[in-house]
Amino acid sequence: MSILIVEEITKEYDGLRALDRVSVKVEKGTIKGLIGPNGAGKSTLFHLISGIERPDSGTIYFKGKDITSLSSHEISSLGLSRTFQTVQTLENMTVVENIMVGMYLRLKGDFISSGLWFPWISRREKEALKEAKEILEFLGLLGRWKSPASQLPIGKQKLLELGRALALKPEFILLDEPASGLTPAEVEQLSERICELKKNGITFFIVEHLMGMVMEIADDVVVLDHGKLIAEGPPILVEKDPQVIAIYLKGKRGNA
Amino acid sequence: MVDSNQKDFRKRDLFYVVPLWFLALIVPDADDLYSYRRKEFKKREIYYLGALFVLPLIWSDPHFHHLMVLAGIYAILALGLSLFLGYAGQISLGHAAFFGIGAYTTAILTTRYAFPTFVAFWASAVTAACAAYLIGKPILKLKGYFLALATLGFGEIFLVIIRESTGLTGGVIGIFGIPWFSIAGFPFDTYLKQYYLTWGVLLGLFLYSKNLVRSKMGRAFLTVAASEDAASTVGINAAKIKIGVFVIGAAFAGFAGSLFACIMSTANPEAFSLNLSILIVMMVILGGMGNLYGPIFGAILLTWLIDILGKYQTWSLPIYGVILILLLIFFPDGIGTRLGMRLIYLISYWKKKKRRDRGKL
Repeated sequence: MSILIVEEITKEYDGLRALDRVSVKVEKGTIKGLIGPNGAGKSTLFHLISGIERPDSGTIYFKGKDITSLSSHEISSLGLSRTFQTVQTLENMTVVENIMVGMYLRLKGDFISSGLWFPWISRREKEALKEAKEILEFLGLLGRWKSPASQLPIGKQKLLELGRALALKPEFILLDEPASGLTPAEVEQLSERICELKKNGITFFIVEHLMGMVMEIADDVVVLDHGKLIAEGPPILVEKDPQVIAIYLKGKRGNA
Repeated sequence: MVDSNQKDFRKRDLFYVVPLWFLALIVPDADDLYSYRRKEFKKREIYYLGALFVLPLIWSDPHFHHLMVLAGIYAILALGLSLFLGYAGQISLGHAAFFGIGAYTTAILTTRYAFPTFVAFWASAVTAACAAYLIGKPILKLKGYFLALATLGFGEIFLVIIRESTGLTGGVIGIFGIPWFSIAGFPFDTYLKQYYLTWGVLLGLFLYSKNLVRSKMGRAFLTVAASEDAASTVGINAAKIKIGVFVIGAAFAGFAGSLFACIMSTANPEAFSLNLSILIVMMVILGGMGNLYGPIFGAILLTWLIDILGKYQTWSLPIYGVILILLLIFFPDGIGTRLGMRLIYLISYWKKKKRRDRGKL
């Protein structure tokens, strides 16, 4: 069963077509990779799915529900969570609070009951702290749970952002370049965690600029170039696709 | 080891050990300032409360009482604004308008319709909150400078309405003869009683804010301030949160306005001008954003500063300006925050020095 269906989606910025009638399907409980060179429209696709921007045409279904016109916070309340390419650590909070922010929807409380600190608020708050620590332990960040989030190195901040997404208890997570800026050891650790989460039934859709990590862990890969979908299939086949090789070689020559 | 310690002990050690021990009781420790625990209630806060209660009894000078009453009212205003400015990261230069709405609601209800002041007190907060909701709905879509300008405009419009609608508000002259604040027939008619009233209200609102800040709502405020995109991906409706904080800040201002009207027994438009809005913002910034003691500290400091400078007549404004500039240069993250850090370093320095001295011997 497809948990996410993107149909014929188009997005233009000032006449520049960032996405051109792209259709993608993600199966439940799998890891889907999305690769492509710079400016291929990968991040745009993620912004459209998570509701931060609106598509010009096309529809997006999540769990069979049309989410094209929903706003971002409504989409995340359906169980779709994401991380950002430029890491969005909440620097004005501590590490554990960064995780607890993710539990916003699951915790009770509003301006009145939280302010008057009703007994159930206090109880839930304690549980939330415990749960947040469990998530931190899973990510290997528990040792620094009290320190300000801005003091973590960038690799750990990426993990922290994944933790915040996990705190939502989502069914589906969009990871926007999770491996960029990470050391090989950290990438290894991240891949392990993602595979473990996949076993728990979470579906992933991962954008990567470079092929490395995605090719290892993804069940299925989509390749975008200039807003067009040019290849789709298992990593081994996509890797050998002449069109894909051409794009990546061209990119490398351009850089050199 | 124990013996050498006893030998080292000199009577004059008491001179700094005892005061430092007292300081350590009331001053936050270094971990606290930037950690999760700073949001929990501490034993230290009982000491603050005790000091607050005993202070006017020891220093029983009516002028001091009156100043502290004013400082308390400004502290309520600054506390409400600090939720909006320091936590949710939005700027408002029209906060005095909600203060004014609170004051005029109490003034009109008590003088025209003979409402009890206690009822008018709650009605003021509700009116200010409703006004904030109506204003906030369109305005809070703006960000940064634009929001600052829009709220500034709202403050000015409020003043014009107050001045022009003479039938309701008495125009430029204002409303006189507002009765003392009273609860169940007990009037708060001396400065000392008013002191306890104002700081009592402040204490209640402080506890409310503190609870709010340490709950999921407080985390939502901080998230909205840090990144609205990140907020929306965890299901926080940034627009709703911003409106909520704005309304709460306005309700605080409504309470403060009601107290102000009862204590001054008049309400006239001059008291709610742009000057006051900027003064409140200064209190929040000087006191330190992102912690709840900051605005209270800032309110006390600025109220005192203005009172002391009153002696110097024409020179008061330049001196005031220079002091503000110096404070902002040397305490960019607020006096409350920075002074706390300094004292902590001092204490840990003394401890280290003692250890080092012992090492040499």
